[in-house]
Amino acid sequence: MDIVVRLDELLHDRRMTLTELAARINITLANLSILKTGKAKAIRFSTLAAICEVLDCQPGDLLTFDPTQPSGG
Amino acid sequence: MNQTSVHALTLARPVLRGLTILNLLYAAGIAALLAFSFFIEGWPQRPLGFDLTHAHPNIGNGLRVIIVIGILGAVVVHTILRRLLTIVDTVRAGDPFTLRNARHLHVIAWSVLTLEVLRLPVRVIASAVWEPGRLGGFSFTPWLAVLLLFVLAGVFAHGARMRDDLEGTI
Repeated sequence: MDIVVRLDELLHDRRMTLTELAARINITLANLSILKTGKAKAIRFSTLAAICEVLDCQPGDLLTFDPTQPSGG
Repeated sequence: MNQTSVHALTLARPVLRGLTILNLLYAAGIAALLAFSFFIEGWPQRPLGFDLTHAHPNIGNGLRVIIVIGILGAVVVHTILRRLLTIVDTVRAGDPFTLRNARHLHVIAWSVLTLEVLRLPVRVIASAVWEPGRLGGFSFTPWLAVLLLFVLAGVFAHGARMRDDLEGTI
């Protein structure tokens, strides 16, 4: 996907698992996995805000644009 | 969904299956009548039991054409009923808002339009050989129903695309 989701790196830096993040932002693990693997088509602002609050980051830390990556989702 | 809609959907499947069978029996019956019409003596007066002493000389062939149109109509009705049954099954499965169902609705709209168009030659033939000069009353209702179906199909397609867009939104 052109938009790259760097959730794995952020979770690793903060020593947090996907399961813990899912519980803290009240999103199912399945949906969070879809986001992590780059298969999501879109992300709600509310979801983005919740992730940034828990991981103490900015949207730009989580999402980057890489035109060399194939589009997906 | 209100109670009426729930009850309507519950009844829809057996009703549609029943109508499908009735339609097939109707088509088989009139097809048999068409076949026998070429061998029945005194067609159509004798088998139909009408006194057609002063009838149009071509009334027999006119009725045959009407029967053929009736068979075509039954084929169209069959496709409508099958597609409706498919749509009802997707509602029962919990996933009706699909582009596939939108296409089914579109085809149903065209099919109902076809049925209304098929009624026109039937009325013309009937007026020519049965009740000369009398075309019968014209009703807007079936044509409004056709328009409604096309609008519904378009709205459904738009909704299915919107739902598709939402799929994969986290």
